[in-house]
Amino acid sequence: MYRSQILAMKYFSAAVTLFGIMTITGLISAYYYINPDFLFGVLPFNIAKILHINTLVIWLLMGFMGSIYWFLPGELGRETAGIWGAEILFYVFCAAVAVVAVVFIIFQYGGSNEAALWLINQGRKYVEAPRWAALGIVLIMVVFAYNVIGTAIAARKTTGIITVLMIDLIPLILLYLIAFPAISNMSADLFWWWWLVHLWVEATWEVLIGCIMALALMQLLGTSRRIVETWLYIEVALVLGTGILGLGHHYFWIGTPNYWLTIGGFFSALEPLPLLGMVVHAVYDAGAQHMKTTNRPALYWMMAEAFGNFIGAGVWGFMITLPQVNLYAHGTQWTVSHGHFAFWGAYACGVISVLYLVLQRTRNLTIVDGSLWKWSFAVLNLGLVGMTGALLVSGFVQAFVERAIGGSTLQAFISGQENAWFIDGMVARFLLAIVFTAGYVVLVWDVLSLGRRAPAVAAAAVAQ
Amino acid sequence: MSALAILETGLLLGLYALLAGIWGVLWALAQSRKRPMYGRLAITAYGLHALAALTIILSTPLGFGWKSLIVVSSFAFLATPPMTWRLLRYTHQNGPVKT
Repeated sequence: MYRSQILAMKYFSAAVTLFGIMTITGLISAYYYINPDFLFGVLPFNIAKILHINTLVIWLLMGFMGSIYWFLPGELGRETAGIWGAEILFYVFCAAVAVVAVVFIIFQYGGSNEAALWLINQGRKYVEAPRWAALGIVLIMVVFAYNVIGTAIAARKTTGIITVLMIDLIPLILLYLIAFPAISNMSADLFWWWWLVHLWVEATWEVLIGCIMALALMQLLGTSRRIVETWLYIEVALVLGTGILGLGHHYFWIGTPNYWLTIGGFFSALEPLPLLGMVVHAVYDAGAQHMKTTNRPALYWMMAEAFGNFIGAGVWGFMITLPQVNLYAHGTQWTVSHGHFAFWGAYACGVISVLYLVLQRTRNLTIVDGSLWKWSFAVLNLGLVGMTGALLVSGFVQAFVERAIGGSTLQAFISGQENAWFIDGMVARFLLAIVFTAGYVVLVWDVLSLGRRAPAVAAAAVAQ
Repeated sequence: MSALAILETGLLLGLYALLAGIWGVLWALAQSRKRPMYGRLAITAYGLHALAALTIILSTPLGFGWKSLIVVSSFAFLATPPMTWRLLRYTHQNGPVKT
């Protein structure tokens, strides 16, 4: 096994751990809506939420990096270039995440000065990490890009997938530079901040997961390179074509020119089309393989990725993307519902799929199957779909009572929060978040015990 | 736009996209499994999708441009599964190329 693949396993271990922290902090955040006095004076809501959304970003990023470190040596036929640097930076990355989390919990936020920005909190959603940690992330991403590009140069070869990946890493790093706020005008600051958040999630990450799924498909189903690369080019072109200017669907209430609303609404309304193509592709692959594979969890999670992406990003997104609706739904639990479903479908399911592929190789399993993965698959998806449904109900109330009827005044906000449907929605979300957490526990149990149960599963399969 | 129209429009738009997805999945299943039932269900799903589109056009306060986009998108949703399928068959039938 290559050192790069050993590093990949470490990244997956860290990613699954952070997935757990994200789940727990999400559960705590959900409970604040039911009992606002919870942990009063100990851990405020905003810190729990910061931990929830930042661990979301970091666990997925670590999952992506783990996937690339896993596939890269096999793809280019050699050890990853500069692997020693990547190995050191993995521990630096983990330590930095831990330090930042502790600082958030203990200090929470600082004064209005440079020291607070450098050491405590930069104060912008999703990229709250203090400046020293943000610099560390830039360093890690630069080394990661060097690992990929340097390996291709050292191997004197590349593939279509690796070329797409190398090109994608450049905007991935450049866009993160916006994480360093330098503009005092709030409208201008938010304008650029959305470039980072939107173009990471709906452009560079989409390409990254497209590359990872292409590599995973070749390993899982033995699909030919020519086919996956052809589809990677088509899907990347369509996703980028609709996703980049879809940026405008975020530009509400921050002082940006009106034309952005039309541009954003138009392009993001086209986003379900390539996602529908991916769903048809998934049905084609499932039919061609008759759902037979040596790694059923990986296949099912991959299918969940295609369907979840269409429903979460496509259907849930389409509900709110046209400006007439977005104007009122923006920033309510309706968009939270969309965010949860889209992140889950587009990224989380894909990372879990690759995790099972990695486990099959590292534990030398002929067949990966059993009952635990089915339970985790069912319970996680049930919890997630339930949570998004409950959030949708609460979001409807906010858009209707607080925004449309009340006109977004403070009193309207309070009326919305006190509405029985809103409260019921948040209670249901909390209960279903518990279900989701149970699914996570089963997933971890399955991942930890997979090697021990596999011989029996393999023997049973051979006997059949 | 009235307060109720916001919810109605949002829900109709979601239903519109969901039915397009169901149409695509059923159409692909009809090709994959060669069962006429899937084909009939796919046509039904697309019919419901077209009905949702018609309801959006006739009963929501969206502007002319957005309603036009809904109509054009419906045709694109209709064409996407067969086009994707044809391309998939083409790429698979031409065999792998070693790189």
